[in-house]
Amino acid sequence: MAKTKIEDINRNIYDIKNEDEYEFKIEKGLTPDIIKEISKQKNEPDWMRDFRLKALEIYNKLELPTWGPDISELNMNDIATYVKPKSKLNSSWDDVPEDIKNTFDKLGIPEAEKESLAGVGAQYDSEVVYHSMKEELIKQGVIYTDMETAVKKYPGIVKEHFMKCVPIYDHKFVALHGAVWSGGSFVYVPEGVKVDIPLQSYFRLNSPEAGQFEHTLIIVNEGASLHFIEGCSAPKYNKVNLHAGCVELYVKDNAHLRYSTIENWSKNMLNLNTKKALVGKNASMEWVSGSFGSKVSMLYPMSILNGEGAKTEFTGISFAGKGQNLDNGFKVVHNAPNTSSVVNSKSISKDGGKCTYRALTRINKQAKKSKGMVSCESLMLDDISISDTIPVNDVRTETAEFSHEAKIGKISDKAIFYLMSRGMSEEDAKAMIVRGFAYPISKELPVEYAVEMNNLINLELEGAIG
Amino acid sequence: MEKIKLNETPVRTSRNFNMNNIKLENIKIPKVIKTFDNISINNETSKIQIEKTSNNNYDLTYGLGNIFTNQVKNNSNQSLKVQVDSKTNKELQIDFKFDSNNSNLVDSIIINANESSKGTIIIKYLSDENKEYYHNGIIKLFAKKNSNINVIVVNLLNSNSNNFVSIDNELCENANVNYTIIDFGGKNSISNYYSNLKGEHSSNSLNSIYLGKENQLFDLNYIAELRGIKTNIDIEVQGALTDKAIKHFKGTIDFKKGAKKAKGNENESCMLLSDNAKSLALPMLLCSEEDVEGNHSSSSGKTGEKELFYIMSRGFDIKEAMKLMVRAKFNKILENIKNEDLKNQIINEIDKKLD
Repeated sequence: MAKTKIEDINRNIYDIKNEDEYEFKIEKGLTPDIIKEISKQKNEPDWMRDFRLKALEIYNKLELPTWGPDISELNMNDIATYVKPKSKLNSSWDDVPEDIKNTFDKLGIPEAEKESLAGVGAQYDSEVVYHSMKEELIKQGVIYTDMETAVKKYPGIVKEHFMKCVPIYDHKFVALHGAVWSGGSFVYVPEGVKVDIPLQSYFRLNSPEAGQFEHTLIIVNEGASLHFIEGCSAPKYNKVNLHAGCVELYVKDNAHLRYSTIENWSKNMLNLNTKKALVGKNASMEWVSGSFGSKVSMLYPMSILNGEGAKTEFTGISFAGKGQNLDNGFKVVHNAPNTSSVVNSKSISKDGGKCTYRALTRINKQAKKSKGMVSCESLMLDDISISDTIPVNDVRTETAEFSHEAKIGKISDKAIFYLMSRGMSEEDAKAMIVRGFAYPISKELPVEYAVEMNNLINLELEGAIG
Repeated sequence: MEKIKLNETPVRTSRNFNMNNIKLENIKIPKVIKTFDNISINNETSKIQIEKTSNNNYDLTYGLGNIFTNQVKNNSNQSLKVQVDSKTNKELQIDFKFDSNNSNLVDSIIINANESSKGTIIIKYLSDENKEYYHNGIIKLFAKKNSNINVIVVNLLNSNSNNFVSIDNELCENANVNYTIIDFGGKNSISNYYSNLKGEHSSNSLNSIYLGKENQLFDLNYIAELRGIKTNIDIEVQGALTDKAIKHFKGTIDFKKGAKKAKGNENESCMLLSDNAKSLALPMLLCSEEDVEGNHSSSSGKTGEKELFYIMSRGFDIKEAMKLMVRAKFNKILENIKNEDLKNQIINEIDKKLD
């Protein structure tokens, strides 16, 4: 039977490059003087500058990971960690410079804002260039702004939460993030407020040989709820770009947060991102994640279930094509009684791409009567690709119930045969099976993102059957 | 005392997960190995021959680590070679009995299963109750074309001892190897199992039971590499932990490129009988070949309350009910042991450990 060709993700939209124009670009490298300069450019309070310098010290002490994909090509001396775009923060798209606005137009952000979002933040290189939220949410006390504004305007809340959920000594790239972070979103949802329509932040890195280090801090207070969507992309350059963002989520008692991500970085990007949620009593945290871009991705969102009855769910898909090594997964720690976690992960490898599902489920002794369930499935589309599953399951109480299952394989010949016997062509049958494989994830995304994901898994079938 | 790091996984993961290797403290590795003579051998047929050998010249793909591998290769006090030529399934049983005069065993056992041969090799490690004994052994199996071999390794050492075992199998075309490991003894019981399924249509099933109590630590690192077409591996691991016992299970099924139509299944299940016991598992699937089927599942948790209630409503006290539950869980694997005496000995040991 001829091989079905499944095309790479169509990147035409994402690969649009603007001129590398900026108001300020920091020199490449990572020194205390560079850190001080970033802080000065941002006109930050002293405590934040000192925090950055402390993080740099820790970065220099920590080792690179001794596991996972090879990231030895990363040389911080080749990366500019701060690129200030030639635009201030605006609350109207009309005030955003034409070329930057055009980029976000093509990515469909203003359109989505009009149709289905309650608020939008758009970051271009190292700074947020647009932020806006519906008036009724402002009246309800919801805060949605860029991190720089939050540091200055809400220092009490920021100091209490900033890099407390993800401490700077967690790993080397968190320490790096602490030293050079820039941009990102701050969301504060007051007690009992339900934000029914999603907020979305979009991160775009245009500058070559640069890094993006946005910080997202979301606090969903008691009984409140929020759906937050994060999108990211960059055009492809010959040298590596680096993304080391950090997402800290505080989901207080009885609150609910859904955090959806469509990651479509260019294939020269090292995506070394860190995301963590602290989940309170009877609160729930849902992660929905689509990982399509990047040359290397090491991304393992984490939920720490600290409150009794806390719940978390992770639904994720990775699609690795030629030259990509996507090492993704999920971590959960059960720290309180009657907590529960459900993980549903899928991956597709093709054209020599490598997908790894790497994970941790830990049910601690105090997490009496907690439950964990993990399911992961990997689809291999050819015999030059690689797919690995590396989960750690750590159960420390007899009252817990935990199960894990994983499957690996190719598209079933029987399923193709069945569909073909119903009159479908081989190409259509295979396309349907791959879409069906991804469906449990796409159905969790907002409609417009599900459509985008289906476009991302652009199937083009060719070749003779026989 | 310095920590010894051993039993590395084939692929590393985050150091924070504590599963890449095991670090042991206070392990006395004997420098001088005295003789170990308390061995009994029971042979059903002359077609399975056993002899002493001085040749420990073989390669291990993994093993527990250089310290342990080199000790066996250079300083063993028992080196045996088993030659299987039988055409019917006959048994050879080797019992190593530790006592105060035989307290350190460093053994190398080579099993050559010749073409189309059949046989069952039972290797038991037994000890009296009190002393701390040391066992470090390698079992190397060469399963030639069309051979059909059962190997049963039984560790019934006392819980003061240290047990280190490396198993390394090479399977040729159409070879079929059924391995059963009963792992009950040792304060630390550290085992490394590796199968190289290089021959087309070769097949390996590995069934393993562990039962931990008090402060016992089990570190099981089972690795199967599927290289030949239509090769097959089935790993079934059942265990129960009580008191403060800890188990690390690391199971790897690695489909190498070219292993077309290979199949691999791995199931690991742990019953936790105490709130101080810990069960850690790392069931890995590595895949560089498209046309394969790989599955793994892992579970841990408490004994079923409904089942326990049902058994107790029939007049059993909780301890007896627990024993029944554990035995029932292990039964699927114990059924593979055809030697009734051995099976009864294992069942008695289960009852004794859960008393």
